[in-house]
Amino acid sequence: MASIDITNVHKVYGRTPAVRGLDLSVEDGSFLVILGPSGCGKSTLLRMIAGLEDITAGEIAIDGRVVNDIEPGRRGCAMVFQNYALYPHMTVAENVGYALKVAGIRQPERARRVARVAETLGLGDLLERKPAQLSGGQRQRVAMGRAMVREPGIFLFDEPLSNLDAKLRIQMRLEIKRLHRELKTTSVFVTHDQVEAMTLADRLVVMNQGLIEQVGPPAEVFRHPVSRFVANFLGSPPMNFLPTAIDRRGRAVVEGGHVPWPELCFDLPSGAAIEIGLRPGDLSLVAQAGADDVLPFDPEILEDLGNELHLHGSIGEISFAVALPAATLVPAGRLGLRAAPGAVHAFRREDGRRVEPRARSNPPAHESGEAAWRSLSLSFT
Amino acid sequence: MTDTTVFAAGAPPRAIPRIRLSTVEPWLYLAPALAVVVLWVYVPLLQAFELSFYQWNMLPRATPRFVGLDNYRNLLGLPDMRQAVVNTILYTIGLLPLSVGIPLAVALVTGNLGGPLRNFYRALIFVPMIVAPIVAAILWRWLLNEDHGLVNAWLAGAGLAKVGFLSDPDVALWTLVWITGWKLIGFSTLLFAAADSAINPTYIEAARMDGASGWQIVRDIRLPLMSPTILLITMMTILFGAQWSFVYINALTGGGPLRSTTNVFHVMWEYGFKTMAAGWSTAAGMLVFVVFGLIALGCLALMRRLAVYDE
Repeated sequence: MASIDITNVHKVYGRTPAVRGLDLSVEDGSFLVILGPSGCGKSTLLRMIAGLEDITAGEIAIDGRVVNDIEPGRRGCAMVFQNYALYPHMTVAENVGYALKVAGIRQPERARRVARVAETLGLGDLLERKPAQLSGGQRQRVAMGRAMVREPGIFLFDEPLSNLDAKLRIQMRLEIKRLHRELKTTSVFVTHDQVEAMTLADRLVVMNQGLIEQVGPPAEVFRHPVSRFVANFLGSPPMNFLPTAIDRRGRAVVEGGHVPWPELCFDLPSGAAIEIGLRPGDLSLVAQAGADDVLPFDPEILEDLGNELHLHGSIGEISFAVALPAATLVPAGRLGLRAAPGAVHAFRREDGRRVEPRARSNPPAHESGEAAWRSLSLSFT
Repeated sequence: MTDTTVFAAGAPPRAIPRIRLSTVEPWLYLAPALAVVVLWVYVPLLQAFELSFYQWNMLPRATPRFVGLDNYRNLLGLPDMRQAVVNTILYTIGLLPLSVGIPLAVALVTGNLGGPLRNFYRALIFVPMIVAPIVAAILWRWLLNEDHGLVNAWLAGAGLAKVGFLSDPDVALWTLVWITGWKLIGFSTLLFAAADSAINPTYIEAARMDGASGWQIVRDIRLPLMSPTILLITMMTILFGAQWSFVYINALTGGGPLRSTTNVFHVMWEYGFKTMAAGWSTAAGMLVFVVFGLIALGCLALMRRLAVYDE
């Protein structure tokens, strides 16, 4: 059990900044997921917490103790690597017990603790095998065991599921969740997979270009993204963005003079450019394309995912995707799309920050409960 | 059935000679290599085996005389040969620290260095490798000369007694071991450094996370993962070390003083090309072949058991 406090941390490789001034604290016992595209600095941040990378500037403290200059082995962290990094010349038992061996714990005690971890993870029959004789899922489990055996204060996961096939990934994801519920060890999990991020996290951190874009519970990050980047990064198919201009009354005007959401007014100067973000699942099909609150949509490709339909097409020049229930009958030809005002996200064109409409009563996402969060698992397949 | 008939009927008649050619084709590609191996390895080996039962002075007009196992019997009873065998073992044992121990240490230590400094050290240690053996022999003869050599001048300057590096029977063999090993250090270091840098760095990181110290990482992770290379170089030293010293024996001591630096390869050469005793030389050659063949088999078996390969 341990907490982590990261204060104004920078990391520079030569002249290339990887992490540019980052503040973050991880509460004792929580499960933090760091999500971001490749090269956003998320792995670097994890490796700085682990002690495998030097910290260029700033401070990392574990349980209130600054660990900048402390050896990785003495920080109380255990790490699960992307490629598992199981020592190929040692058996499973030796791999799991290595940390205890270097800590000077005697063989009988070591064997007892290894056996206990092996039992938790269902590795009992594999203890005498070498890593080369294990399947991907078994290796993953051994890597977990190696981390668990020291009973560390913090687990660090560096994309541990990305080398597994889809089915096994779901299984291991659940197992990690279950272990966290049992052990309640503070965990930091780095991934670029949004499903892992959404399902595992107590708190989700979205990183981009060495900076934190947003921190919060996954549901809130998903439903109330603070920037266009976060909105675009979470969700599959990704959010649609419609460029609009603000008219004199503060309303968003779509190209062609449409005002689809007359009730939404923004405190922005006339002519300001914003992008309206609409999740594919928040859109519904309407047959007639003429009405003012309906966006004219030209469908091109229909993907049947079995449990839902993804309809890809365009509104004017902008490509749009719609997620529909599996049973929907999609008529041919031009269609109309409608979205409730409550489903509209708006982002400033110049910096991608979120803007809220003035008159709308907009309860914070986390208060409205799960109901409004429309069939997330379906859209994530 | 119908399909096959149709296919066979429709196939062009040229298909048949092409199939025949394809069975010969691999052998055609192999022929040059096989010819070289057979002509220069197996034929001479068999001829040497045959010659080892004859007495012959290598003169074209003399007829080889069949003597049965006499050559072998004489050789095994000869004190010269016994001395050569003991020396061969000494050469091998003496070379191991120079071809395995020091290079391994250098590779492990410089492995942690970064940037241009590392390449500088490696270049420095590799230089002896590119010096021609005979040039190295002559340079060392000058350096180690008892009366005017630089090394003895230094020893004298430090107030120590002169050492007959190549003339003292107790020292000469170790001098030759040193020169042979000095040539090898660079090569071995290069191979060890390559093996060390081929280790997946996440193993080292995982060990650091596990709390292992630098020495524990060397002992438990780096050395075991370098074991194929370590065993390979050890095996090469055991099998070829005594051969590698031949140039220096030949150029610097001629096996002396008092036969203290000769080894089986030098003895073989002496019998064959100095005293022209083809039977003795080939008999010695066959003995060496059999003994080193057995050692090689043993080494390979050992390697298969001990080496750790990362998948």
